[in-house]
Amino acid sequence: MKILIADDSRVMRQIVVRTLRQAGFGDHDLVEAADGQEAFDKATEEHPDLVISDWNMPQMTGIDVLRRLRAAGNKVKFGFVTSECTPEMKSAAEEAGSAFFIVKPFTAERFDEVFAPILG
Amino acid sequence: MSVEVDVDESDLAEMVEQVWESYLDPEGVSPLMQNYDHDQPTEVHSSVSITGAWNGHVVYASSRAAAQRAAAAFLAMEIDEVSEEDISDTLGELANIVGGNVKAMLPPGSQLSLPQVVLAPESTARYPSAERISGIYGTWEGEPVSISMWHASAETKEEGA
Repeated sequence: MKILIADDSRVMRQIVVRTLRQAGFGDHDLVEAADGQEAFDKATEEHPDLVISDWNMPQMTGIDVLRRLRAAGNKVKFGFVTSECTPEMKSAAEEAGSAFFIVKPFTAERFDEVFAPILG
Repeated sequence: MSVEVDVDESDLAEMVEQVWESYLDPEGVSPLMQNYDHDQPTEVHSSVSITGAWNGHVVYASSRAAAQRAAAAFLAMEIDEVSEEDISDTLGELANIVGGNVKAMLPPGSQLSLPQVVLAPESTARYPSAERISGIYGTWEGEPVSISMWHASAETKEEGA
């Protein structure tokens, strides 16, 4: 499977990658995006099976990336890893078609719980 | 209009503890030891602004050595391998994580800015018309670290917010 990790923080992308490995999902093909526009472009061009996205990013927020993908007919499994988690954000994410919502700081156990059903 | 905030020091301490448990001290051997010294000197800092229903800033500050250690922990590398960019990115992410968690406890209708990092002491920063309302101050492996919340009066609300 191909996984796209979108976060404007390079250290957080590395932490997500490391946590995926710790949770046992290190064998997948990992692609990174450093802002919302790049996330949208790579989600379109690279055909990932899963997008793990930050919410607050330059160029385009994660929720806008998801909405634009869905508006373009792209049904890629998409969810958020973000330090912000308000009821409004969660409901906006669900309405837009988000599959999960992970709050930073997170653990490998949390990744396992969320991604095991998705990545197998 | 700005509402009263209901985030106290025990809430901040809990957020900070989670950051340490998840990233900075996963083995649980070197927690942040609180010393309640809100004037301890720092050498670098990062902040995020929150605007909307509540206006203010969340600031992470530490010594350079503590920032270097944090970057090494975040990136799983040796301390002497850490670059200036690693330190900046780590400081930004620390402010972002704590700020995001603070925002989640505020009334609906607030926005979180992207982080700002300054490789200079927190004492060089000015937050106009804002006052420090709470904070966690301590040492991590002997190095100063502080996380503070600043509340800005409504008049200083950022343009366009």
